[in-house]
Amino acid sequence: MEPETVALDLALIAACGGLVGLDRRGAFQVMISQPLVAVPLLGMALGDLETGLWLGAILQLLWMSSMLFGANTPPNETLSSMVAGGMVLLYGEHIAKADVGVWTLAILLAVPLGPLGRRIDERLERINLGLSQRALAAAAEGRIEVLDRLPWVGLARVFSIHAALAALGSGVGLLVIAALHPVLDGALLAAVVTVGTYVLPALGLAVTVSLVRRRRSILLGLITFVAVIVMLDHGGVG
Amino acid sequence: MSAAASSPAPSSATPAADGRPVRVGAFTLLRVLWRSFFFLAATNYERMQNVGFAYAMLPALRRLYRGRALDAAVQRHLAFFNSHPYMAGALLGAAVRIEEDIAAGRRAPLEVEAFKRCMMGPFAAVGDSFFWASLRPFGAAWAVAGVLSGVWWAPVAFLLLYNLFHLAVRGYGLFAGYRSAERIIERLERLELVRLADRLHVVVGVFIGASGALLADRAMRSTARLGDGLEPFLLLSLTLIFVLCIKREMAMPPLLYGFSAACIALMVGLNALFPLMG
Repeated sequence: MEPETVALDLALIAACGGLVGLDRRGAFQVMISQPLVAVPLLGMALGDLETGLWLGAILQLLWMSSMLFGANTPPNETLSSMVAGGMVLLYGEHIAKADVGVWTLAILLAVPLGPLGRRIDERLERINLGLSQRALAAAAEGRIEVLDRLPWVGLARVFSIHAALAALGSGVGLLVIAALHPVLDGALLAAVVTVGTYVLPALGLAVTVSLVRRRRSILLGLITFVAVIVMLDHGGVG
Repeated sequence: MSAAASSPAPSSATPAADGRPVRVGAFTLLRVLWRSFFFLAATNYERMQNVGFAYAMLPALRRLYRGRALDAAVQRHLAFFNSHPYMAGALLGAAVRIEEDIAAGRRAPLEVEAFKRCMMGPFAAVGDSFFWASLRPFGAAWAVAGVLSGVWWAPVAFLLLYNLFHLAVRGYGLFAGYRSAERIIERLERLELVRLADRLHVVVGVFIGASGALLADRAMRSTARLGDGLEPFLLLSLTLIFVLCIKREMAMPPLLYGFSAACIALMVGLNALFPLMG
């Protein structure tokens, strides 16, 4: 590992993390903050789009139910996904090829950042109360121009916290995986790979199924599952 | 609310050169639309998106009012506001139209506040149901199936599909809201977003099924394969167990850690008992 190149990659992760954090909670909401888009974006920035795409797809399934309904604050799927993606991509670039075991460890390490990110989002909403009070005071005193600046203060907060946490989480996670992965013996590593091959995808599929409101859709899903398996078995797809 | 905010303000509005009340114009509406993209920037616990709403309204309010009347108008829009960010475009457009009427003395300032209070909930419900709970899972499930089958541009297609609806509703909503004011709710009904959301839910299952099959195929070709074609059954069984757990209000992280720990313990235990299997 060369410290300069790792530092450069961490800066890229920070920039991507800040950008997608803004999309999630501050500006535009064009969905580049969804794991399926955010992690490939990070993969592209770090030179491994393919890993970003596959990892993004699994993380998207796992976090599919995380959505901003009304005044509720959901787990921060973007932060968790960026950190998981950052760990895997850094590992692949600086240590060794990232296999399913590395992916699984990265996801297991990064998932708690979802609920932690929710706490941070709630804290930001409390801090932003000051912006609302400043806006009210400015309007009462006839200093309307203050209002033009306030949203930018909010955006700067969201960007900096997401950028810092994405880089910090990826860096620390990389060190943990680099220390953990070599000491996993054959049976333990096989068990971790099994978790990554069956438990993670099945949980992701279940999270997505649980969002479906129509029973007919679940039946269609089962039929499609069987049909695609049969087609793949006969070499018709893929 | 200030006294200035609750009294009619025709005399403090900015009159046009020929004496007629000022209209905000398309350019100002476009500026409002641009600012609506920063709607959530200062979301806060007490008044939610009030700063974002007032910030977006500012170009229009500056066209309509000056001095104390402008201050009072801004204060009106700093009241509690919480709605869906995409649907807020329609509410912003309608609020601009009502503000024009207030500036011209045709309405009382309280009317715009009442309008926002009544409409933010229903608009949020439609936006949440259509965008968050239907279009996003639909597009994402399709794109996940695409990525798993090797279509590398699937996330780009997801962004295009999603934002086609997003930007259309934002833009159309703002201008339709401006044209119709309170009647925007009728225009919104004509879009039939709720019915469309229901249809999207039916199709989502197909993409989930395809994704499941592609993941099972990947398992069959992995180092963790079971042999005898059992992988799809294991994946399907685990998925059904997880669905039942989620239906019982269990959150994803505990399920992930619980099942991962059980799986690792089982495999390590089996390997210790039957070393040849490892």
